[in-house]
Amino acid sequence: MKFKITIIVCTLMLLGGFTIAGSSSAAEPYHLGVNLAITGTGALYCKDGVDAIKLAVEEINAKGGFLGKHSVELFVRDTHTKPDVAVREAKDLILRDKVRAILGTYSSACAVAIKPVAQEYKVLHIPAISNSENITKVNFSPYTYQVVPNSYMQAKAVVLGVAELAKKKGWKNYMTIASDYEWGRSTQNNTVALLKQLAPDLKLKKEFWPRLGETQFTSYITAIMGQKPDFVIGSVASKDNVAWIQQAKAYGFFEKIPYPGSLISVSELIVQSKSLTRGLVGLCRAPFFAHLDVPMMANFVESFKAKYGRYPSDWAVMEYDAVYVLKQGIEKAGSIDTDKVKDALKGATVDTTRGQLYFRKIDNQLSCSSYIGVVADDSKYPFPIYHDVVEVKGPDSWRPEEEIVAARAK
Amino acid sequence: MDASLVFAQFLSGLSRGMMLFLIASGLSLIFGVMNILNFAHATLWLVGAYFCYTFWFLMQDYGFGLWLSIPLAALVLAAIGWVIEVVLIRRVYNRELPEQLLLTYAMVLILGDLIKIIWGVEDKLIDRPPLVEGPVFIFGMPFDSYFIFVILVGLAVAVGLWWFLQKTRYGHIVRAAVFSREMVSALGIPIPRIYSGVFALGIFIAGLAGAVQAPIGSITLGMDMAVVIQAFCVVVIGGFGSLLGTFVAAMIVGEVYAFSILFWPQGALVLIFIVTAIVLIIRPWGLFGTPTRA
Amino acid sequence: MIRYWWLGLIFIAMLFLPLIIGEFWVHVAIEILILGLFAVSFNMIFGYMGQLSFGHAAYFGVGAYATGLLLVKTSVPLPVALMVSMVTAGLFALVIGYFCVRMTGIYFAILTMAFGQMLYYIIFQWYSFTGGDDGLQGIVPPEWLMSASAYYYFTLFIVTAALIVMWFISESPFGYTMRSIRENADRTRFIGINVSNYMLINFVVAGMFAGLAGGLLGPFNRSIAPDLCNWHQSGVPVFMTVIGGPLGFFGPMIGSVIYTFLFAFVTGFTEYWPLTIGLVIVFVVLFVPGGVLGLAQSKFKAFGSRDLMAETQGSTDTET
Repeated sequence: MKFKITIIVCTLMLLGGFTIAGSSSAAEPYHLGVNLAITGTGALYCKDGVDAIKLAVEEINAKGGFLGKHSVELFVRDTHTKPDVAVREAKDLILRDKVRAILGTYSSACAVAIKPVAQEYKVLHIPAISNSENITKVNFSPYTYQVVPNSYMQAKAVVLGVAELAKKKGWKNYMTIASDYEWGRSTQNNTVALLKQLAPDLKLKKEFWPRLGETQFTSYITAIMGQKPDFVIGSVASKDNVAWIQQAKAYGFFEKIPYPGSLISVSELIVQSKSLTRGLVGLCRAPFFAHLDVPMMANFVESFKAKYGRYPSDWAVMEYDAVYVLKQGIEKAGSIDTDKVKDALKGATVDTTRGQLYFRKIDNQLSCSSYIGVVADDSKYPFPIYHDVVEVKGPDSWRPEEEIVAARAK
Repeated sequence: MDASLVFAQFLSGLSRGMMLFLIASGLSLIFGVMNILNFAHATLWLVGAYFCYTFWFLMQDYGFGLWLSIPLAALVLAAIGWVIEVVLIRRVYNRELPEQLLLTYAMVLILGDLIKIIWGVEDKLIDRPPLVEGPVFIFGMPFDSYFIFVILVGLAVAVGLWWFLQKTRYGHIVRAAVFSREMVSALGIPIPRIYSGVFALGIFIAGLAGAVQAPIGSITLGMDMAVVIQAFCVVVIGGFGSLLGTFVAAMIVGEVYAFSILFWPQGALVLIFIVTAIVLIIRPWGLFGTPTRA
Repeated sequence: MIRYWWLGLIFIAMLFLPLIIGEFWVHVAIEILILGLFAVSFNMIFGYMGQLSFGHAAYFGVGAYATGLLLVKTSVPLPVALMVSMVTAGLFALVIGYFCVRMTGIYFAILTMAFGQMLYYIIFQWYSFTGGDDGLQGIVPPEWLMSASAYYYFTLFIVTAALIVMWFISESPFGYTMRSIRENADRTRFIGINVSNYMLINFVVAGMFAGLAGGLLGPFNRSIAPDLCNWHQSGVPVFMTVIGGPLGFFGPMIGSVIYTFLFAFVTGFTEYWPLTIGLVIVFVVLFVPGGVLGLAQSKFKAFGSRDLMAETQGSTDTET
């Protein structure tokens, strides 16, 4: 008897617990959610991103918040670089923390995963590191706005450069090494397809697909070097990229085999400043040093350096832009109501640290540029930057609208 | 497919195998002597790597920094291992298997978060000393010079363990304890202290392995997860409690992985589990284990 | 049956849940039910048969992918997909179990783990079919189940039905044979029972219900990933069972309530969930080995004569 009563009492207490815990109130502050890979492969990039977001939110709150009256409350969650965790955290953010917009994610797979959730609950979704084309090309969501040059744009930028180089140097065949997940696949597929268009004589000899989170690249390095391709194109993700470059260097890889156009973001430039091979031709998404003539960028770099004691990477730049894009959308709409903001952002022109850009209507993609350059030391900074920077503008590199329409029709 | 490519893959498999042996040997020792399957072994390995980083960081300005950090980290881990054994492991000797496994699994979670709290989430990168920065050329194929060091350490550990177990008095006592705890106890030798020593030794090797791993690539959270399962497979394939078995199995697993990159890259990881399952089904005590151990 | 009228009371209370609590906690409740079903199915092997399976998540994951793939790629209705999940998981359990039931103890544990990992890596690498590391997105339940409350009731009914079935199995002669295998497999063999066959049947049934739980998870989360087969996922039902108590039928469900609730609560204000649950497990293993049920049993002697704990304690208490 006593035991049954205990069970019943416990159940009632639990129900009570649910009720008390469940009651929360959302008020006038603007709840902003951040869903990034704080742990996992993306941690390196995401720390910068979160720091930049915090800086932006501080600046905005110093002026009273959005529209001068809605102070911004930040809710940061960890996706662990796993899509199912990302979905779960996104739901948490939406249902428990009542956020109106979600910034993030790192992994493109996570972005693709939370896109329909954001759409279902009518919450704005601004990926600022993930850039797989599949976020914008197919399964279009009017709530998702992309502020990163997508994988097609980046691939096209690389291919334009590589095709030139191949002609000059008489290259005949190549290999690819790409992280086996959404972004890696999307980038590699686009690169190969575009190369076939622009340099049809080049032969793809072999593809290598290390898994996301791979720490030992030795076997890949020896396999590639053993087969002696004319050049190699790499799309290795974040932390893995650091390990890959460092390990390959120990084998003298970069002296033997040309490695043009792989993603060497400002993060890699800073972290590997001592060991990175100078003269590599690399690609990145938002280098601060390419836009110091834009006042917003110059101010941002100064504030970021003052607050955190370091220079901002691409990811910091783009997450900062994401917050300010949201701010401008709210101002255009004159309200924090999510549907009004999303309509206001459609096709809108916005001011970013990378200049004045606009969103293309068909896929909500920002007209941002990709940047190719040569890794070189610079007296102004304690780490190498890119010299001879070639800025490939968004509208010159994004996928033609007819192809998008065709892809969506399928 | 020419001979130099095969040789290159063979070498990379060898280095991978050596790393696995370093990790798995401690695991095999602990299980062989104490019958405890230490899930947290790879996590302690990772702690060793982080400690190595911290010591190296403090001694950055000295050329020998790295070479001193490695043994220091291993010693710290031995101490940690001793403490863990006395505080936690000792309490579950007389318990059932599930509780022992759960305890060590819980340690994985706890230690993992402690690493996060102490060292943060960013990757740690150790700059290699110039001696081992570039490649060496073996028969014309480039080979990471640091791996020569790894292979040397692996061989040293293998020989050291063998000599300890076969040639020293302490080692004889340990082997006797495996055979019969009661007899050794009856001879007046305190079993708890033997166990603490063995556990500490096992963790020392794990810490050494972690410290040796540290300059390869970067040190990141979650590295232990991928490794612990492979270490388990090595111990199972080789046979619980057999040092030779662990060595051979580590080499096998390393080479299987290296060569499957060439032929069946997707299958590299699956292949290892298939081999493990086959060994467990046909010969559960492993290639070199003895059937009496259960 | 009448003895358990208070369970009926709890069931009725749960029917009112969505009306009292916010949507977020309804989501938590759904999760408690799904994971609880998973844990109870695990306990059929652990508590009733006495073996530790460290690869039970394999069937959970298979069930999730079966339903997920059917919903995404075909227009099969959800109830049918769930049945397919159960059958598919059962088939996998049959094949894997065939090898595993021939051994016990640590070998059983490691072999189940090895198979679980094998399945994990196969799903992980088979990008073209399963989406690999990106997981499977866009798994939507039918219109009438889109809202959280609707899905809650759906899950509640299915899980309750499954629990009732498993309860009957555990209280049947088959269930008692399981317990005797747990206590002493050799003696059971001596009375003419084919122990391996019985263990296999139990393994398959447990796998089927794990598959059902997995099938329910996909449409709820709208997304699944290969991690559902990983050994970490296999650890979850072990934790729940140990916390709740392996020697009672409802132990794992109680464990699910505590674990899931704790998870939802703790992750609201800290990222160090693994540290928290690790410490809880160490505490439970060292100081409360029988779990919540064990604790309750020692405090309140009456718990029904046909319960596992009463048997192992040797007491003959009757229901009061």
